[in-house]
Amino acid sequence: MKFLLLMFKNVRRNLLRSFLTSMATIMLVLVITMVWSILDFLDAATREKEKDLKAIITERWQIPSRMPFAYVPELERGGARNPGDVQPADSMTWQFYGGTLDKDKFDRNSMLFAIAMEPKKLETMMDDLDKLQGKEKTDFHEVVQKLENNRQGIILGIDRLKALNKRVGDRFKLFGLNYKNIDLEFEIVGLFPIGGRYDQSAVMNRDYLNAAIDEYPQKHNGQKHPMGDRNLTLFWIRVNSKADFERIAEQVTTSPAFSNPAVKCETAASGVANFLDSYRDIFFGMRYLLTPAAIISLCVVSANAISISVRERRQELAVMKVLGFRPLQIMLMVLGEAMFLSLLAGLVGAWGAWYLINEYLGGLAIPIAFFGKFFISNNAFWWGPAIGLLAGLVGSLGPAWSACSVKVTEVFSKVA
Amino acid sequence: MGSQLQISPAALIPLVCGLGTMVLLTLWGRVPLRYNLRNLSVRWRTTLLTALGFILIIELLTVMLAFVNGMYVLTQSTGVPGNVLVISEGFQDESISNLPNDTVTDVVLQPGIMRDENDRPLASAETYLIVVQPIENRSGRAAGRRFLPVRGVDDIEVAARVHNMSLDTGRWLSREGVTSLGAGEPDALEAMLGVGMASELGSTRTAEQLAAAKNKERLDEGEYFTLGERRFLVVGVMKSTGSAFDSEIWAKRSIVAPMFGKDSYSSVVLRAAGPKEARQLKNYLNQDYAKSVQAFVETEYFANMQETSQQFLSAIIVFVAVMSIGGLFGVMTVMFATVAQRSRDIGVLRMLGYSRLEVLASFLVESLCLALLGGGLGCFLGTFANGITVKSIVGGGAGGGKMVTLDMIVSGDILAVGLSVALIIGAIGGLLPAISAMLVKPLYSLR
Repeated sequence: MKFLLLMFKNVRRNLLRSFLTSMATIMLVLVITMVWSILDFLDAATREKEKDLKAIITERWQIPSRMPFAYVPELERGGARNPGDVQPADSMTWQFYGGTLDKDKFDRNSMLFAIAMEPKKLETMMDDLDKLQGKEKTDFHEVVQKLENNRQGIILGIDRLKALNKRVGDRFKLFGLNYKNIDLEFEIVGLFPIGGRYDQSAVMNRDYLNAAIDEYPQKHNGQKHPMGDRNLTLFWIRVNSKADFERIAEQVTTSPAFSNPAVKCETAASGVANFLDSYRDIFFGMRYLLTPAAIISLCVVSANAISISVRERRQELAVMKVLGFRPLQIMLMVLGEAMFLSLLAGLVGAWGAWYLINEYLGGLAIPIAFFGKFFISNNAFWWGPAIGLLAGLVGSLGPAWSACSVKVTEVFSKVA
Repeated sequence: MGSQLQISPAALIPLVCGLGTMVLLTLWGRVPLRYNLRNLSVRWRTTLLTALGFILIIELLTVMLAFVNGMYVLTQSTGVPGNVLVISEGFQDESISNLPNDTVTDVVLQPGIMRDENDRPLASAETYLIVVQPIENRSGRAAGRRFLPVRGVDDIEVAARVHNMSLDTGRWLSREGVTSLGAGEPDALEAMLGVGMASELGSTRTAEQLAAAKNKERLDEGEYFTLGERRFLVVGVMKSTGSAFDSEIWAKRSIVAPMFGKDSYSSVVLRAAGPKEARQLKNYLNQDYAKSVQAFVETEYFANMQETSQQFLSAIIVFVAVMSIGGLFGVMTVMFATVAQRSRDIGVLRMLGYSRLEVLASFLVESLCLALLGGGLGCFLGTFANGITVKSIVGGGAGGGKMVTLDMIVSGDILAVGLSVALIIGAIGGLLPAISAMLVKPLYSLR
């Protein structure tokens, strides 16, 4: 216990140095937790599940995928056509409608891209929204009911709402971009849960879009809309197991009902991983360049501070040896000081990153694939202290060795 | 490389200010620079560790900026100032544009479009597709799919002329776009590759394919790849232009467009007599032309794809700023320790008649020397990133986007920014310790 107290007192002795070293550690831990949180999220998004997994059915050979909406009934059955064929546990359709508030403006604050889908599927098929609990679940259910009852309704994320400078209950008109000459009026019926992955999203009722597509020929001399026949972008299914997924994937890809265009079925994780392939060099840089550089910098800062401290205390260390402290104890004391300080700083850095990004900034906007924002992982609360401990240990190994190797006679001969 | 290392005034000013301040402080401070350099060399371990911190931060900054610079250069060097790109109205990206056939046949007849020696309009009607290609697990790369940009062109020679593309190896596409492989063999569809795309496709060849390949670095003429359910024969590889077209596959439009379910055109590129005429043609098509199209000067269209680069740049600034603040505290720790260890030296300097401000200048110069050493080495190491080929996406944020292969470019501006950042860290990190050195009382310190 006394030994521990001695360590704490040593840390307190030069408060300025301890403060500066801690601040450097906090900043570098902040960078590392930010990078790791992004990589961790992407790893989780691309990790294959064994049970209760989602799969995406899209056009086989090109993106953006455009399938006929007529595929939907068959897809809902997972292409099952023989006795014993497997059907999905649940499914949803995604169409995309994009428009601008001002015909002549195409900037981020005027444009809106909405997912057109069945409102009730928001609560059963959408990631995270299907796991809401308590009041959040009840509140969101009410919003979904409003969208269900109001074909012109739209649910927005808080960031989209702010960017459009609107409020819940406002009405607005969008001039169609991808569905040219299909201009739609909307009423904002509610918001997605705030502070989540849907802050920049928008969802509309698919019936409204499909009705507009169906009515198009009546208003345009019988001519179908160019997107009329192929407006289904994604079809999502939920399956109970990997084996079910493989069966359904086989049923879908071999079904004669889906031949023009051909379709493919892949797990959501695999779909995301394929899309992220275009970013693989960026991830390589984040994983093997940015993170090691930050960790090495952290070790260097720690090593520098501790080695200065040890150099200044050579006489004191010699006295400790004379008083009976063994080299191992001296080594442990120096290691302990460094690791204690780094552990605390790492914890503060991780908490700071979590608070700053998740609570204060509401997410880190980095343009990677279709993920609007990244949040600091809860794992950061152990990453930070762990990184701090590691940097403290690595950075203080050399100085600690030098401290325990102090030669008493040499030190005192210099004093004399 | 020489022209790359030119430094713009905006990047030069902070560097010159930093270096100028350092020189002025040295000259005005009167404490010999040799004194500071000796101190750095005597405490070489501390100097080395502090410099290492600078090296890592500045090298990282250089590499990341080289990546963003590569994206900027790619979007800036894509397109011809005298070309006008026409897509359907309301769209910002050719990958989601649909131009009706009658619009395409009409737009190429408009005035202001240059004609070739056979009096044909220099206009290339194209269908831009992003095709999904399954890849097998090879050379450590996970199995999956990749997205390949395919440009279907009607007349390859006109298209190449309009886009200023030339042949590196092989030949252009034939009129039919198909090569017969002899009796019993299905015909192969012909494709031309940009150099970036040739490298990308070449990176996933099997060991047997690689052993038989003429060129190990990239796919070359005479080799095959599969798209959809058809085999494509590479008939030629186009010369590198440093543009987005280097990352594309070009094939006969009449074959690939229906094959991948897009019967309409995406865009028409029109060649005007020059940049001024291109702007006039653009204005005419946007304002007075009867059919609803959207026209861009081609260089402006690709310049609009810099939004991704700007977002990456913002993210890099955040990361580097936080790391720099960390580095700054590291420098402060070292400099405060230096001041504490040398309080006797400071006392002697003060006794010899050096003023408080001269002592401050001396310590600040020492910190700047350390920063310059670390920053210089960091920049030097960062230059090794120059020319490294990476994959990314460029886009304008309004839907669409292009997967591209680009070269990282370390420019003079980036090196200037790296050195400036190092000097700023050195100056701020050294200022407080220098002030504390200035405040050392000579008599107390010499006791």
